[in-house]
Amino acid sequence: MHKLFLNESVKRASLVERKMKDLIRFFVVLLMMTEVVSLNAQVKKVVPREAWISVSSGTYGLTDLPESSELSKSSESSESLDLPRLSGLSGKVTDETGNPLPGATVTLNDNRYGTVTDRNGSYQFRELPQGWYVVEVSYLGCEKSSRRLHLPFNQQLNIQLKQEAQQLQEVTISDYALQRSRQTAASYQYADRDFLQQHESGSLMQTLSRLPGISSMDIGSGNSKPVIRGLGFNRVVVAENGLRHEGQEWGHDHGLEIDQESVERIEIIKGPASLMYGSNAIVGVIDLKQLSVPARNSHEGNAEVKVASNNQLLGFSGRYAQRGDRWYWKARISGVDYADYRVPTDSIEYMSYYFKLKDRQLRNTAGYEYTAGTTVGYLGDHLKTHLTVSNVFSKSGFFANAHGLEIRNSAIPYDASDRDIDLPSQQVNHFKIMSNSFWQSYTIDYQLDMGFQHNLRKEFSEPLPHGYMPVPPDSLERLFSKSSASAHLSATFRKLENHELKTGVSTDYQHNERGGWGFILPDYTSLNAGMYAIDNYRLSEKWLLTAGVRYDLGHISTGSYRDWYTTPVDGGTKAMERALELSRTYHSLSWGTGAVYAHQQWQLKMNIGKSFRMPNAKELASNGLNYHMYRYEKGDSTLKAEESYQLDVGISITLPRWEVHLSPFVNYFPNYIYLNPTAQYYEAQQVFYHRQSEVFRTGGELSVLYRLSDELAAGFDLEYIYSVQLSGEKKGYTLPFSPPLNSVFGLTYEKARVGRFSKAFAAIDVHLTAAQNNIVPPEKKTPGYQLVNLRTGATLKTDKIPVQFQLQVRNLFNTKYYDHTSFYRLIEVPGAGRNIIASIQFQLN
Amino acid sequence: MKPPILLFLMAIAFTSCQPGDHDDELPVIDMSAADAFPLNCATVYRGETFEFRALFTDNSELGSFSIEMHHNFDHHTHSTDATQCEMDPVKTPVSPFRWIENYTIPSALQRYEATASITIPTTVDTGMYHFMVRLTDAAGWQTFRGISVRIGDR
Repeated sequence: MHKLFLNESVKRASLVERKMKDLIRFFVVLLMMTEVVSLNAQVKKVVPREAWISVSSGTYGLTDLPESSELSKSSESSESLDLPRLSGLSGKVTDETGNPLPGATVTLNDNRYGTVTDRNGSYQFRELPQGWYVVEVSYLGCEKSSRRLHLPFNQQLNIQLKQEAQQLQEVTISDYALQRSRQTAASYQYADRDFLQQHESGSLMQTLSRLPGISSMDIGSGNSKPVIRGLGFNRVVVAENGLRHEGQEWGHDHGLEIDQESVERIEIIKGPASLMYGSNAIVGVIDLKQLSVPARNSHEGNAEVKVASNNQLLGFSGRYAQRGDRWYWKARISGVDYADYRVPTDSIEYMSYYFKLKDRQLRNTAGYEYTAGTTVGYLGDHLKTHLTVSNVFSKSGFFANAHGLEIRNSAIPYDASDRDIDLPSQQVNHFKIMSNSFWQSYTIDYQLDMGFQHNLRKEFSEPLPHGYMPVPPDSLERLFSKSSASAHLSATFRKLENHELKTGVSTDYQHNERGGWGFILPDYTSLNAGMYAIDNYRLSEKWLLTAGVRYDLGHISTGSYRDWYTTPVDGGTKAMERALELSRTYHSLSWGTGAVYAHQQWQLKMNIGKSFRMPNAKELASNGLNYHMYRYEKGDSTLKAEESYQLDVGISITLPRWEVHLSPFVNYFPNYIYLNPTAQYYEAQQVFYHRQSEVFRTGGELSVLYRLSDELAAGFDLEYIYSVQLSGEKKGYTLPFSPPLNSVFGLTYEKARVGRFSKAFAAIDVHLTAAQNNIVPPEKKTPGYQLVNLRTGATLKTDKIPVQFQLQVRNLFNTKYYDHTSFYRLIEVPGAGRNIIASIQFQLN
Repeated sequence: MKPPILLFLMAIAFTSCQPGDHDDELPVIDMSAADAFPLNCATVYRGETFEFRALFTDNSELGSFSIEMHHNFDHHTHSTDATQCEMDPVKTPVSPFRWIENYTIPSALQRYEATASITIPTTVDTGMYHFMVRLTDAAGWQTFRGISVRIGDR
């Protein structure tokens, strides 16, 4: 992902280069190495729908609108200068019978250079540095060709492509994920539309949790928070096309507020990523990409309907895209509506109280979500830009008997309907406008990303007295209205010999206002600005070195909050001031350096980096009773910016039959911000206060894939995390929500053609999760469990409209288990029971 | 270059995993003694003072405790007791009794016989109340007991 880490054009430079080399040498001393888990490789290596369209039209791009650095490779422009030591390469691409193939994609060295053939099937590269090249040629419906040659000895290469036996869509790319991974020293993971569709679950994060190192913190069936290697909340950045998604990340009981149908591919960095993304990118980044561009003079679309048995979900989505010559537009719409979900138990025992469940349904967990979005884009010779407007609206209920840790019976007739949403419930609207623009000049690529977002979240509860608080006037317990604006400008210098230097500045502004009778977070305004420079140095064909540094300055001011009721104090009564006005400034220097070694079947990586996170308003200024968790939470205005140092190693071996990826890491926080449960009480509730402690974490992921035959592959994924607090009152304890050791054994059968069906697959995943006995108050030890998931699907090719079928069975044996990282774990609610998910998609062209 | 570093990393990863010797056990509120009070469905009286009595134990060290009493005129439940008490009809509170107090426990104790005096004014509403006892240990583990009591008149 890191566009920055992309290695890049190799041209000229002198002074700058020497200085860079010195700098790099200095960094190399620190160095480290690899990883890449392209689980994706195990699932599919097929270009998503969008891809072949752009290939066929002659638009460059394997899948998407190229990011800046990809763009630069795409069109070796005509402004070329004939410099010494440079050579050209040209030739013609034809089919088996010798007919020219216009619009075939020709790439050199893993897409470092790319072009498409003209009307006569001819292609030309100018001013290539001398050396060895791997030339790859692909064309819709033909088998891909790959050749190795040396410049300037071979300056002419004609290629004849063979007709491909498979369906048209299946233009195989040479493992996109692996290529991208080789361009970054960070631990990198990738998921495409096929993966998302095959593993689709109730929420985007539940879908992604199939990837090793990624898990989700679930709140009911439709909401989840992202967790990377055991950490989540404000320590993971979720971005859309490089721009951070801004919701209420600090909160326990809500999800991402992103439409999973809209995501085209996902790039994940598991590791420090503040260098590129600034504050909060401490354990990683999940970047959701929606950058595909329709083919020239074409229109296409699809419509999908899905159903799920467990929560009687009904969903639909539609997408349409059209492009003339340079202008295009896209529109999408989707919706899901679901009932209360089922758990494999008749009653839930919590605090020695039994909740009897009607029809094994978790009452009041129904919900719905509707989303819409539209994009307008322009593709010029130098400027490529698009603007997207989208909106997500969702409403869902919380388990009625215990929202948070409270046990409560109510007069509300919850069991009257399993589709209604009673109290407690939440409602969220997320509105977003964003644009990405790429400007390409001869020597520099510029990228400008801008966005505005508004997140409006409401939580409704029965108006009930708590502590000294009398009966509130209405059911609006909490309201958060967050507006944020952000901008990011970068410049990539691509004419430096063996170097790609990227510099950038970014800034963002946030304003969050609260409402409702429950206080948990004061109003706040924050302003952040950062600047960075990252260099990728291509030492040799095998070695890539990267190093970067970033400086951030941030300011946060929080408002005062006074209770709307009075509390007896010292014989009188008083409206307590729960939050004080506060103003804090933070600055941080983050850095990262790494190396990638890629040669034949080997890929080795090492990366070391420092990331940071500014304390959020809740950590700084909260001071009140949280009646969801039944505790008194106290902020600390003296908290320092949290810092994290992490070393990542990656080892990948790719053999014809075997693939092995190992990605261990070691992580150290000198001042992890921890909400510490104490032995004290305040107004009869346990006091939790924010403290900073040293934390050490280690672990990693192992993925093994073995291809038993062309169709059958066996896979094994393992994830392990160990964390320990090295100082403070919880010295020796782990961190909350630490995922247990877990593994997945998978068997996948894929066949290109079965009768009238194409892209047929069937797979079984056996999840083995160990017990988690390493806990910290107020957690509970969680026993281990096994789950079996099945999935199958195929595309039926009819005369006009291809129809794609998918079927999934999750928790096949309806096993009762507890998910240690679920929000509902503490109240003894087991994970969802068996769920059969079916979808059908029509492709319209 | 890599093997020594890798081995070192692996060594760190797998030697650092021994379980800590930290406290994983919750404290216990024991109300089985003959003089423990109040038990589920007990009645306490307006204009009188009653004594809370319970035995607190912990494997390591007790922390502190709190007592909270609030009305249950709407029949919600926090009860940690399986037995249901006979309920009055749902009613609107006029002047409900409320007791919110935090109590300390002397340090370094594994066993503590807790007592607390609670005086109920004559002016409060009678009816069903919840009597909540919360107990922590020094490590921050918490346990609680929800007891249904009735405020009545002699």
